[in-house]
Amino acid sequence: MKARHLVWLRRISQSFFLLLFLFLLVESRLPQEISLKYSLVTSGQQNLTLDYPVGFFFHMDPLVGLSSLISGHRFINGILWGAGVLLLTLLLGRVFCGFICPFGTIHHLAGSLKPSLKGPEMRKANEKSPGRRIKYFVLFTLLTGSLLGLNLSGLMDPISFFFRSMALAILPGTGAAMHSLFQTMADSHIRSLNLLGYGAEALVSPVFGYEPQAYQTGWFIGALFLFLLFLNRIRPRFWCRFLCPLGALLGLFSRFSLLRLDKAEEKCTGCGRCTRHCQGAATPVPGQEWDRAECLACFNCFQVCPENALAFRLGWSFGRNRGPDMGRRAVLGGIFAGLSIPFLGRLGGERDKVSNAGLIRPPGALEEKEFLTVCQRCGLCMKVCPTNAINPTVGEAGVSGFWTPRLIMGLGYCEYTCTLCGSVCPTGAIRKISVKEKIERPIRIGSAYVERGRCLPWSGNAPCIVCEEHCPTSPKAIYLRKADLETREGKKRELQVPFVDLKRCVGCGICENKCPVKGRPAICVIAAGESRSLKNRLLL
Amino acid sequence: MCFHDPIDRREAVKKIFGLAGSVVLGTVFAGPLGFPKPAMAGLKRSRFLVEGTGMHDGYSVKKLVEQVFDAAGGPGRFISKGDVVAIKPNISWARVPVLAATTNPEVLKAVIELCQAAGAKRVRIVDHTIQDPRRCFAITGAGLVAKQTGADLVYPRSSLMKDMKIRGNRLDVWPVFIPLVEADKLINIPVAKHHSLSMLTLGMKNWIGGVGGGRWSLHQDINESIVDLTQFFKPTVTLIDAVRIMTRNGPSGGSEAYVVKKNTLILSDDPVAADARAALLFGKRPGDLGFVRLGEKRGLGTSDFQSLDLKRVSL
Repeated sequence: MKARHLVWLRRISQSFFLLLFLFLLVESRLPQEISLKYSLVTSGQQNLTLDYPVGFFFHMDPLVGLSSLISGHRFINGILWGAGVLLLTLLLGRVFCGFICPFGTIHHLAGSLKPSLKGPEMRKANEKSPGRRIKYFVLFTLLTGSLLGLNLSGLMDPISFFFRSMALAILPGTGAAMHSLFQTMADSHIRSLNLLGYGAEALVSPVFGYEPQAYQTGWFIGALFLFLLFLNRIRPRFWCRFLCPLGALLGLFSRFSLLRLDKAEEKCTGCGRCTRHCQGAATPVPGQEWDRAECLACFNCFQVCPENALAFRLGWSFGRNRGPDMGRRAVLGGIFAGLSIPFLGRLGGERDKVSNAGLIRPPGALEEKEFLTVCQRCGLCMKVCPTNAINPTVGEAGVSGFWTPRLIMGLGYCEYTCTLCGSVCPTGAIRKISVKEKIERPIRIGSAYVERGRCLPWSGNAPCIVCEEHCPTSPKAIYLRKADLETREGKKRELQVPFVDLKRCVGCGICENKCPVKGRPAICVIAAGESRSLKNRLLL
Repeated sequence: MCFHDPIDRREAVKKIFGLAGSVVLGTVFAGPLGFPKPAMAGLKRSRFLVEGTGMHDGYSVKKLVEQVFDAAGGPGRFISKGDVVAIKPNISWARVPVLAATTNPEVLKAVIELCQAAGAKRVRIVDHTIQDPRRCFAITGAGLVAKQTGADLVYPRSSLMKDMKIRGNRLDVWPVFIPLVEADKLINIPVAKHHSLSMLTLGMKNWIGGVGGGRWSLHQDINESIVDLTQFFKPTVTLIDAVRIMTRNGPSGGSEAYVVKKNTLILSDDPVAADARAALLFGKRPGDLGFVRLGEKRGLGTSDFQSLDLKRVSL
């Protein structure tokens, strides 16, 4: 195959997988079909299913599969896809990085659309540098940590990173900008603008959400993403070269690959174009040894060489392959860091001693210790949650649980007949549950309590039954009793006051969400009583 | 920004709905058949109340709706050719129809088809749901009805809630779900059920689902709020769905144990009388309901529904 064709094949493949990634990202939402055949359903317990396998990229990501395996001893669904990618790497090197990885594609685009470095500068930037060992440090940190039961790989895994950034920052940020633009247009007094505003809003709503979405630390997730994109100005594909643990893992597996770069030293005129266009800083220039583990299989060097001094060939060359340049210090440092972090992360006491009231995990979440062995912090459950309740944590789960999911009832609530989060979780950190199981067992995510001082009827200020009327369980967990209160003027006033029956409460949080006392509602849900934890059990 | 003079926007929205069907979910029904206008249309009419009852099992809800409307003079009495009709069901909760927390989709469908047959240019299902709209549309059956009839199902997006002057006793300026005020005709189709604060939720209370904003605070003076909103919206006609009624643990219920089959429909152009009649189904006197008493006092209608042009039909 000619070099030009290979490069175009790569571009087509990159575009295809990037678009597929974005498509699955958008499809990670409540099904848009609103015409269920209600006559077939009498219980309201039909299960929600998504039309597309939105977790596909996570299944294909061997780091997700491997870390879940060694950390939680679980074979995740679709792990064979990940195994397939490893096999592909064994045969052909890091073609995943060059042809498939959507995060890599984004960096590739950011670095090559308008490169900041010119000619010789770029050539210098693409020479090998010791910084590439950082990614092996990261990989060994994550894997060692996983072995000890703290799976942090999602923080640095490229698929999780990209999904989280897009779902929790870029998409809602763009959506908020569009909503405010269309709102301004709808409010204007120019008719054609009104019309455009309403029409445009209707068009973008299914993609960006019907209401503006909000995520705790979303600004930071977005800023980090933009910063990583910016780094491409210093070194093309900075992330892939220096930071990506998945790239490091695939680099290890590329040791035995059949893909060879044949260099004809006698033809080389030393023009340096190969290095200037090399995406992985893999030393393509003849006369020096090719860094197989760094090569992203972009085939740029092959294409740009004016003397045909470079050629990719397939051939068995076991024994002659050079191992990755990991650096002993990076590996040992990584192992040391991986040994330390799980225990440093426990010093806050969140895992063993205290329970954070705000750590309300999605329905079906595993018990906390187990949960942290598999949760990728990818944000898929947060993206799919129809009420925007599921958010990334900051400190609620301790430092080792940073960016894992929790429900914030001020932003949303757990819809009684929805089980989407568990149905999409790529690693099973949130179990797949049926609506029947959720309602009948029931699966409790917390329990509600009334703050009488702030409650309108309890404080004698006004009648209000909002929490009770929203309570979805049957019989209702929130019930009303008449109370005779004395007004300031000394008159008798009969009000209905709410109580919570903990035996019935599932912690869905719609009461907290709808309570008219905003900011610090008079009825709140805390994690105590959640059914996934024995430690947090409330009633005998 | 001028929120308090809705005139410009009112016209603008009218235009938008006329042209851009994409604002709403659902498709556009094309080519309704004309319905000859009955002779009495256009005449000054006295207020009426029609009760329809399905006497035996297996009666057709659709037929009952048609007969009830026919007894009141036919749908052509209320709907003129080319009208934009907004229908306000109660689909606030993501509950299946048998739980009687929401308007029966069969009733909803029958009314939409009557409007279309009477020549309505466009029929819209408009409700500001309490739970997630997409879940409510799907589970209550409203989504399927919209798909089958071609009626528009309006998504209660925040840009469609505009501050308007309610000019009530209790409510002054409040955000209103615009498609309700932009329609030529407004049909209220509540479900009859228990409510833990206002005792029952019938036709008049259904208007709380027609506004946006911090509507939970309306509960602090529920009866005044209900009457203010009824006075503001002025429905063309109210059809109370009492095919199934929820007798306790309302308004959201959640068990069929709370549901009683009454197989009854109540149609009236007097919102107070319709609610007064429906109260009897629950074994309550009209005077027990604060909003009925208050509505009568404010002159919105009469609780003495016997004094109206009263008709009964049964199947």
